[in-house]
Amino acid sequence: MDLFLQTLVNGILIGGILICLTIGFQLTFGVLHVIDFAVGGWTMLGGYTAYWLVTLAGIDPFISIFLVFALFLLIGRGLGPLIYHVRTSRYARPDLMALAFTFGIFLFMRGGALWLWSYNSRSVESVLSGQFLSLGPVTIPLMRLSAFVMALLFSLGLFILLYRSRFGMAVRALAQNHDHAGLMGVDVKRVSAWVYGIYTALTASAGVLIATVYSVNPSVGIRYTLFAFFVAVLAGLGSVGGVLVAGLALGLLEAYVATYIGARYSLLIVFGTLYLTLLVAPKGVLGRGI
Amino acid sequence: MASKPDLTPKLIVRSLLIGAMVIALVALPAAIDPYTLRIATGALMWAGLACAWNIVGGYAGYISFGHSAFFGIGAYTTAILMQSDVGASFFVTLLPAIILSMAVAVAIGGPTMRLRGAYFAIATWAFAEMLLQLVTVLDFTGGTSGLSLPAYLNEFFFYYTMLIASAASFIGVWVLIERSRFGFRIKALRDDEPAAESLGIRTNLVKVQSFALSAAITALFGSIYAYWTTYIDPYSVMGPEITDQMVVMVLLGGLGTVWGPALGGVLLWITNRYIWSTFGDTVIYLPILGVIIALVVLFLPNGLISLIMGRQRGKELISRILGKL
Repeated sequence: MDLFLQTLVNGILIGGILICLTIGFQLTFGVLHVIDFAVGGWTMLGGYTAYWLVTLAGIDPFISIFLVFALFLLIGRGLGPLIYHVRTSRYARPDLMALAFTFGIFLFMRGGALWLWSYNSRSVESVLSGQFLSLGPVTIPLMRLSAFVMALLFSLGLFILLYRSRFGMAVRALAQNHDHAGLMGVDVKRVSAWVYGIYTALTASAGVLIATVYSVNPSVGIRYTLFAFFVAVLAGLGSVGGVLVAGLALGLLEAYVATYIGARYSLLIVFGTLYLTLLVAPKGVLGRGI
Repeated sequence: MASKPDLTPKLIVRSLLIGAMVIALVALPAAIDPYTLRIATGALMWAGLACAWNIVGGYAGYISFGHSAFFGIGAYTTAILMQSDVGASFFVTLLPAIILSMAVAVAIGGPTMRLRGAYFAIATWAFAEMLLQLVTVLDFTGGTSGLSLPAYLNEFFFYYTMLIASAASFIGVWVLIERSRFGFRIKALRDDEPAAESLGIRTNLVKVQSFALSAAITALFGSIYAYWTTYIDPYSVMGPEITDQMVVMVLLGGLGTVWGPALGGVLLWITNRYIWSTFGDTVIYLPILGVIIALVVLFLPNGLISLIMGRQRGKELISRILGKL
């Protein structure tokens, strides 16, 4: 029973980070209609940025996460117009071309990271590393708890932005209909570019948390791209609210499989579940809508 | 379309060109050293793989990120059947490899190809990763340590086997897709699926047929590759890099054209080997692939072949690039 409770807590804590990882991805799909293969690449780069900041400048990841957020907001804002250009171009299949484009970006990130930093895993040290909080039978590493809280704060920030600001209203209008939003005076191109920036910033921040809790190496990108796809598909592509449930579901699934069946089966079961979900309920278990 | 061809000068030039190419390809091994011959064999394999991916990705318009699964199925079938306790000879293993890959393609293609666009891409990727993980944990596939095959060190044999397989793939695709009703169906399906369906095309059947054909060719090359390299492990025959290369080769050469994949495959494979021999490893090859995809999507969506075949001339391309800066 103790093991069961401990696994439950671990699963929820990781699930929180997965929510932060996927929520921006969902927003991008809802607004730009682009499936971004590079989602894991942004995660990985966020982790590496935090690693270099703590190694070279001694900035704790829980502080540098804000620097990472700002940096990737600008990078994504700069890349956004290109994505928008490909997605709205007059090619035969702009959706597939956009998919191929982000696939190219992802390959560039993964290969570049391998080339520059080789296969070594690097862990990001924080002042909270190695400290624990005991609650009855359950032991909680302080770092995981802080990462969980941080991830939820970022996600909450996105919800406030979406539902309590003029910019958020413009974003939601875009998600409903590009043409109508444009007619109402929304600058479609600019808002889309900012949405892409917000997405990369959120994903890179989640990457900082993941690198702090686990570690970062160039091949984690693929893993987190698939995790993001998993959460997104379970929630229904484009549904931002559904991510809250689906992220926790994946965190729990992974934790229980790792504890009770064996860690080497966890990826197999995660991918198997993803594949079956796509076949049984391609629109998502929870329905859709932004 | 298939009216009796007149003997125009264009046709004569084309036949002469094809004849010269065939002679060059057959005579090539006599003219080059074994190291270059290995590179040429690899180039034939990648051209054939790109051709296989192009059936689904280029003609049917379904981007598959899971073709490494079929390459791996071919490689593992051959490797397992050639272990000393079964002891099958190489050519005997090709048939089960192809049949198994087609069976898997039909089994997963049926339900998966109901998903459109991005959903299909995610589903095939998840399937390939799932299979990769499965091969890593199973016993009869050798787990992470992989399998060794009986060594047959005859580079000429592998060159000509790859040449025949590759030529058969290209001729097969040309006949089936450019010269038959099947080709019209598959292209109609790509251009507008509901419209194709309303014209009485059984789109689900056509999609699964094209997926199975593509899988069979991929598995064939996987089998030959396993026998050629004599040692396979999960990542060398099922790793994501295999799919990555197939996608990039077709995009670079030209989606949905017969000769584009050959051009892209040969060019990229030679680049890959050149980088390998210059830098000692191929790590920098991956970011280069990434940049190539992004540039092709932005500036040359019809691929390199469109520069030759005249859909998009070089001059126009340069003005397009300059116009975007």
